[in-house]
Amino acid sequence: MAYDKVLLKRVGTPNSVSIDTYKADGGYQGLAAALKMQPGELVDLVKGANLRGRGGAGFPAGVKWSFLPPDREVTYLCINADESEPPTFSNRVLMEEDPHQVIEGVIIAGYATRTTTAYIYMRGEFTEQYHVMQKAVDEAYAAGYLGENIQGSGWSMNLYVHRGAGAYVCGEETGLIESLEGKRGWPRIKPPFPAVEGAFRKPTVVNNIETVACLPHILSRGMDWWKSVGPEHSLGPKLFCISGAVNRPGCYEAPCTITMRDLIYDDAFGGGMRDGKKCKAVFPGGLSMGVLRGDTFPQRPAGSKIDLSEDHDELDCILDFEDIKQYGMLGLGTAAAVVVPEDVDIRDVLVNTCRFYAHESCGQCTQCREGTGWMYSIAKRIRAGAGRSVDLDLIEELTNNMGMMPGMSICGLPDGAAWPIRTLVQKFRAEFESYIAQQHAGSVEETIRRVNPAAYELPILGGRQMAPAT
Amino acid sequence: MPKITIDGKTVECRENIPVLRAALEAGFEVPHYCYHPGLSVVASCRLCLMQMKMPHPKTKELDWAPKLFPSCQTPVKDGMEVKFDSQLVHNNTNHVMEYYLINHPLDCPVCDKAGECYLQDYTEDYGPATSRMVEEKNKNPKKDIGSQTLLYQDRCVLCTRCVRFTQEVAGTSELTVINRGNRGEIDVFPGEPLENPLQANVVDICPVGALLDKNFLFQQRVWLLKPTKSVSPADARGSTVYIDVNDDRVWRIRPRFNEKVNEWWISDESRFSWQHVHSPDRLNIPMIREESALRPTRWPVVQEQIRAQLNTVASDGGSRVAIVLSPMMSCEEAWLLASFVRQSAPQATFVIGYVPVEGTDQTFPKGFVISAEKCPNRRGVETVIEQAGGPSASWDEFLTKAGGGEYRFALVTGGYPKAWIDSTLADTLRKIETVVLHDVWASALDDHLWLQLPSATWVEREGSFMNADGLVQPFDRALKPLDGVVGDGQFYYELAGHQGLFRSRKVRELMAAELPTFGEVFVPREEPEYAH
Repeated sequence: MAYDKVLLKRVGTPNSVSIDTYKADGGYQGLAAALKMQPGELVDLVKGANLRGRGGAGFPAGVKWSFLPPDREVTYLCINADESEPPTFSNRVLMEEDPHQVIEGVIIAGYATRTTTAYIYMRGEFTEQYHVMQKAVDEAYAAGYLGENIQGSGWSMNLYVHRGAGAYVCGEETGLIESLEGKRGWPRIKPPFPAVEGAFRKPTVVNNIETVACLPHILSRGMDWWKSVGPEHSLGPKLFCISGAVNRPGCYEAPCTITMRDLIYDDAFGGGMRDGKKCKAVFPGGLSMGVLRGDTFPQRPAGSKIDLSEDHDELDCILDFEDIKQYGMLGLGTAAAVVVPEDVDIRDVLVNTCRFYAHESCGQCTQCREGTGWMYSIAKRIRAGAGRSVDLDLIEELTNNMGMMPGMSICGLPDGAAWPIRTLVQKFRAEFESYIAQQHAGSVEETIRRVNPAAYELPILGGRQMAPAT
Repeated sequence: MPKITIDGKTVECRENIPVLRAALEAGFEVPHYCYHPGLSVVASCRLCLMQMKMPHPKTKELDWAPKLFPSCQTPVKDGMEVKFDSQLVHNNTNHVMEYYLINHPLDCPVCDKAGECYLQDYTEDYGPATSRMVEEKNKNPKKDIGSQTLLYQDRCVLCTRCVRFTQEVAGTSELTVINRGNRGEIDVFPGEPLENPLQANVVDICPVGALLDKNFLFQQRVWLLKPTKSVSPADARGSTVYIDVNDDRVWRIRPRFNEKVNEWWISDESRFSWQHVHSPDRLNIPMIREESALRPTRWPVVQEQIRAQLNTVASDGGSRVAIVLSPMMSCEEAWLLASFVRQSAPQATFVIGYVPVEGTDQTFPKGFVISAEKCPNRRGVETVIEQAGGPSASWDEFLTKAGGGEYRFALVTGGYPKAWIDSTLADTLRKIETVVLHDVWASALDDHLWLQLPSATWVEREGSFMNADGLVQPFDRALKPLDGVVGDGQFYYELAGHQGLFRSRKVRELMAAELPTFGEVFVPREEPEYAH
């Protein structure tokens, strides 16, 4: 596939982290172009570019900026580098290999939003990346790209690199803000949205690092180039991560036109399945967006419509912000795929998924706090060979009620937990059922009696039917 | 006033309140845990979710939005339409209630909260009949978090009301949430127990049995308790309280909502101010000095003796008579005594009794005040003295004059929660020829007293206190007086020549003719049931 890399162009080149090589490669020209414009023009430009947020939700960055109250006195810009979604490591590559590209993007975003203080919020586990970033920030200060009167424009901005303490929920924008303020990373209730009342109760923009990294290229390469990359609704270059049982796991750049099958099998990307195995399942957009069936399932008959109730190969899903939703995914997410090969027990996948959310639920909202823990217990029991068909129904019901639609809880974590677990149970139900059928008789009763004698005495082993949540 | 429609019924509500509050005030039942009117809104229990009409994103037509909204976080807006009685809402409450119980130990039979527990009530009203949880439950520890409170973490629903209380109302932030997800626990920081003057309020605001009062632990089942509306005598603020009584015994004191004084809270001093009521050291028999010893007598005899004595010593108008009115007396009692004395001794000196003061007023972040003045009715008694006219004196002036031997007769009232007459004070009062002491405790002065009258505590009396801001608040009688004791009000009522039963309301009507201040008492607004 002929595609000229943009975001990852300098990755792997010698001394790519230094400001000198970055400037020699044409860096900071996007900033120069931006500083010639008025901040308002810049917002309109980014709105016109339909730059969709790369953090997961895909919300247009320009629109987000325009929510800021026009008469504000202080604006904060938080760059989300928490990157806590499982299998995702694209931000890390950007920060490790090309920090100045990120910083240039931050400065442009800061200028567009008339920010005076910006923060790069990094997850606690990023230690090396923190030092690389901090060194680059120091270089940028020395070169006059940060600090007072940036490049003679009369506008000043400070940039701080901040490391969190390592929590999934701090990647949620209000959780990030709370954590940045030094509090427990519990997401805030919205409204008010951060654009109105965010960090330190002042208007705040939270953008993903990859989103701002696109800004210098929009400005230096121009709108025509930008609009030539990718489909109308998902413009621009996108970073894809692939990990799991593929030959070439890593971070790759492509326009949003590639399919999941390309990402796994194309030599430019995943390079095929390891040991020639088949792919059973793939989580295409980080864990939270749901799961796709792999090529162990039969191909969908040509010309037929997508029917999620049929066990068909779903690798032809196009990785953009819209097409992926047809396959029951919540969205593109972080575009980080993890590939599950055919010889992996799907019950392990379920346990792992449930464990993650049970571990990371912040504990504020009841459904998420109790539901994730409950599903983890159920998944463990199923894995231990004591599952029941009714458990699968129960998990589905719990996910429906936890995240039956985005916006039912304070943050999106329960939706993100519900989606992969629900799609796993729905799409791989047959496999779960076959394991349950193979269990030896009485295993369920024995297990339940062991862990919870009281429950065994109650007439509930058959399960209780409840009205569906919606 | 905005008008909103709840379940098809249009109600008028106050400005700037959440829909949840408006619904509760309009008589709707909405389950909730994390919302408390006195604390910030976190919207985390997800139990009060409602349906709301919103403009459709495309057509802009008003219709029910597909998702649910937390009613505690949505402010009322004129013309808004919401729904609590719908399948979507019921499903949500049903599911959330199931979640609440999956890790709950279901130990209601040994839980002090049982009977006033929101988890019990809401489960009965909204929850599923059985649980589908067959896994092992999380077992969380019991913790001793402070001198007054115990934490049963396994019963906690993590509504964080207690955490917000210590942060926002007490301003001391001792409590916090540790760990994440369903392993979350309320805890204190190492070496920093929950110790502040308002700490036991966390027990009241805990909607479940997680935070318990050590003094009340395993004492009574709450459904046996009979609450009486009262006013705390612990300080000059006049916090309104409920006194919970069973078997002729006080078991606990709880705050009673008062929008003008203490809102939803009381200080620990108020909460534990009843301990002396059941002290075995209390006086309970009126005694009169006969042949140099105090001997038991009867109440009618006491009255005759006082009248006769007063007539004798006050033959000159009573210039050598002092009547000490304690700031622990109710307004009615002070007025009855004062008006009785003025009839027979117009020149008697009225003295405002000893006013105990400890430190300075303590003000908390949201405006709760603990007054330094540890008596309930200084202002009320002062008002009565002022109105009665004639000579009056402060406590210090009285002591100076008494020390100088200026008085022949004194009636001293006490009623303080602990014995207050030390030997110095007793020596001063000894200079007075005839002393009547109406008090709860025996004292160093007993060998000099002519009459020793047992007094009832405020729990056994009714009347009104005027607080430091001049607010007159009535309190009811929760217990009958100790055997042998006649209620102070009843005693002065009869002494003043009235017949029948002393009722504070009746006396206030009499008072109002002279003192319009007492014509109207302040009774706080009733909070809707389940308001907090």
